[in-house]
Amino acid sequence: MSRIKSSETPHYEMLYIVSNQFTEEEVKPINAKINKLIVDNGGAITYSEDWGKKKMHYPIKGFSFGYYFLIEFDVNGEQLKKIDKNLRMSSEILRHQIIAKVKKSAEEIKQEKEQTEKKMVEKKIAEEEAEEKKEEEAKKEAKKMDLKDLDEKLDKILDTDDLL
Amino acid sequence: MSNQIKKEKSCCFCVNNIKEIDYKDIRTLQRYINVYKKILPRKRTGLCSWHQRKLAVAIKRARIMALLPFTGNK
Repeated sequence: MSRIKSSETPHYEMLYIVSNQFTEEEVKPINAKINKLIVDNGGAITYSEDWGKKKMHYPIKGFSFGYYFLIEFDVNGEQLKKIDKNLRMSSEILRHQIIAKVKKSAEEIKQEKEQTEKKMVEKKIAEEEAEEKKEEEAKKEAKKMDLKDLDEKLDKILDTDDLL
Repeated sequence: MSNQIKKEKSCCFCVNNIKEIDYKDIRTLQRYINVYKKILPRKRTGLCSWHQRKLAVAIKRARIMALLPFTGNK
């Protein structure tokens, strides 16, 4: 990863999986422990997210389910190495991945999420409208057919009446 | 040589002005893997070279975190 060197502390994002052998309540102290580890090493947590229990696409160390947690923080490079080493040693965490990221505030993340959700909603609405239009057209065609049939029937009846 | 009509493909990420491909966004990544869970070639994805590289990295990261499988069962 090429990064522009600046005086600011670099920003990282970490996703980690806690193994399924713990219950949801047991996971909370583990999560707190990791947060503490980062803070103790001079890091500042800017954002955190709990994904909850998820099925993994392949088993890791014999577990096919895991608790996913997402954390964003600022740390210096040397401290990051320590954190990385610590996490690798711990048996509770199945896997973790640290990635350098452009700094964003929590509000910006929220806004982005809202925007993507909005887009999804708009798409859905557009699809629904298209379906409604189709239905209406189908109905109109059906109505036209009905009118034609009625006319024909009426004509027939009238014809028969005249004959009588 | 070939008389096939060539369709002009435009990069989906360039059109929508997306500069970062997030490895956590599985829904978009899933569009670019095949039944055997392999990364599709640029021929199929129609992406520009810059975005194809970013996509490949994102898919590989998602695989490491078990968000996507390495191989398919089929």
